[in-house]
Amino acid sequence: MVQQVASHGFLEQVVREGAMFPDFMLPSAEGRLVSLDSQLARGPVVVSFFRGEWCPFCRIMLAALAEELPRIEAAGGSLLALTPETGGLALTMKTFHNARFDVLCDVDFGVGLAAGAVFRVPKLYRARCEAAGLNFPERHGNSAWCIPVPATFVLDRDGRVAWRFVDADFSHRAEPADIIAALRQLGAQ
Amino acid sequence: MELSQVRYFATLCKTLNFTRAAEQCNVTQPAFTRAIQRLEDELGGPLIFRERNLTQLTELGRAMRPHLEAMLDAADAATALAAAKRQHTPSSLKIGLGPGIGAAAVADAVKEVLKALPDAKIHFEESGPAALIEAMLTDMLDCALLADDCDMPDRLNRWPLYTDRAVAVLPADHQLAARNAVTARDLLEETIIVSDRCGGFAAQLASITGFSLRLQSCNGAAAQMLDLVAAGLGVALLSDRLRIAAPLTSRIFGEPELPRRIMLTAVAGRPLNPAAASFVKLCRARAFH
Repeated sequence: MVQQVASHGFLEQVVREGAMFPDFMLPSAEGRLVSLDSQLARGPVVVSFFRGEWCPFCRIMLAALAEELPRIEAAGGSLLALTPETGGLALTMKTFHNARFDVLCDVDFGVGLAAGAVFRVPKLYRARCEAAGLNFPERHGNSAWCIPVPATFVLDRDGRVAWRFVDADFSHRAEPADIIAALRQLGAQ
Repeated sequence: MELSQVRYFATLCKTLNFTRAAEQCNVTQPAFTRAIQRLEDELGGPLIFRERNLTQLTELGRAMRPHLEAMLDAADAATALAAAKRQHTPSSLKIGLGPGIGAAAVADAVKEVLKALPDAKIHFEESGPAALIEAMLTDMLDCALLADDCDMPDRLNRWPLYTDRAVAVLPADHQLAARNAVTARDLLEETIIVSDRCGGFAAQLASITGFSLRLQSCNGAAAQMLDLVAAGLGVALLSDRLRIAAPLTSRIFGEPELPRRIMLTAVAGRPLNPAAASFVKLCRARAFH
C-alpha cells in the first residue's frame, strides 16, 4: 500500500509549507463545534490526522502527543487531532489516552480532502481490513473506503503551514520533538 | 486525492462534457483532463468512457460518484461553516421527527449549532415517515429522525443514532408504579392509549404477544397522550427518550422489550446549508447512549 500511495505522486498533493491550511469547523469528541480560527486566535496550532482508533501506530502517536502536550503548550502551541471515525469513536480514542487536546471528527473526510491527505484504500489492503473485521463503512458512516495519511502540520497564527510531516508509510509519524522545535521557531519569529 | 480533482470529477458527472466541465471549473482542458487522469490512477481505473459522441461514467465512476460528492460536500461544508460563523450568515435547520421520536436526544446538537450560528432558525416537524421523506426529497426538510422499520428510498442516507425502548407511562399513584418494570401481562387489565403518531409500540406489543389488549385509540401527539394518562384514562407506551414529568411517571417496559432503531436520514448528494450540515455532523460524530 505504501508503494501504491507513494507512486501516485500522492505526497505532491498534500498541502505544503507556506500554503494556507484549509479553514474548518468540525465536531469534537464531546459534541462541541471547534473552529480552526478560534484555535488560531490563541496561537500556532498543530493539526494531526489519524487513521482511526483501530490503528496501533495512531495509538502510539496519540499517546506520545498526550505525553508531550505540556511541552507543546509551553512552546505556545495547541493541538487538534482529526479522525474520520464517527459514532463516538473519537471520544473512545480521546478517553483511552486521557488526552486533554481536542479530538475532532472529520466526518466524510472533508478537511482531509481539502488538505490533500485522503486516499482510497487499495483493494488488497481493503481485503485485509475486512478479513480483520474492520468495518470502515460503519466506522466512517460512509462506504467510500478512504482514510487519511497520518500527516502532521504546524500552522502559524495566520493558518499558514509552517512545518509539516507527511510519509506514505503509515508507521512513520512526526516526532514530537520536531513538532516542538517547529513551534519554538515560530515563537522566535 | 486532491480537492480540485474531486471537484472536476463532480462537475464532469453533471455535464458529461469535458469542454463544458473545464469551462465551469475555470481551467484549461488539458489541465482538467490531467487532473481526471490522476484521480483515475489513484482510484484504480477509468471513471469516464471517452468516446467521440458519448461521455459517460464507467461502473467505477458510478460507484465512486456518491462518495466523492459526499467528501466534496464535507470539505465545502467545513469551510462554509467556519465562514458562516464569522459572517453571521442567516441559516436554517429543519429537522423532521418520526412518530414518537422526541428531540431530547438531539437537543445538545441543536444548542451547539446555535452557539456557532446564533442567527439560525430552528424548525421541527413531527409527522409520519412517508410525509417526512417526501418533505426531505422536495427540500422542505434538511434531515429527519426515523425508525428503521419504515420504507426508505435508496436516495436517503441513513446513520444509526440510538435504540429507544418503550416505557409504560402512568400516574405516579398507579399500582404499577410500585414495580421496577412493567410486562405485557401487567397490562391485560389496563386500557392502553394508542396513537399512530407516537411510535406504534402498543400495536407491536399486540402482534408480538398475541394478547388481546384493551386499546383506546387517540390520534394525538405525545402531549395529548400524557394529558389522557393524567386524567386516568389508561396507560401509554411511549419512547424512553421522552421526558416524563410529575404527576406522571414511567416504568421500563420489560417483557417483551420493544426496541426501535432510530436513524438520522438526509437526502444523498444534496449539499446542506451550514446549520444543517453541522447538525448532521454533530449527530454522526457522537455516540448516543
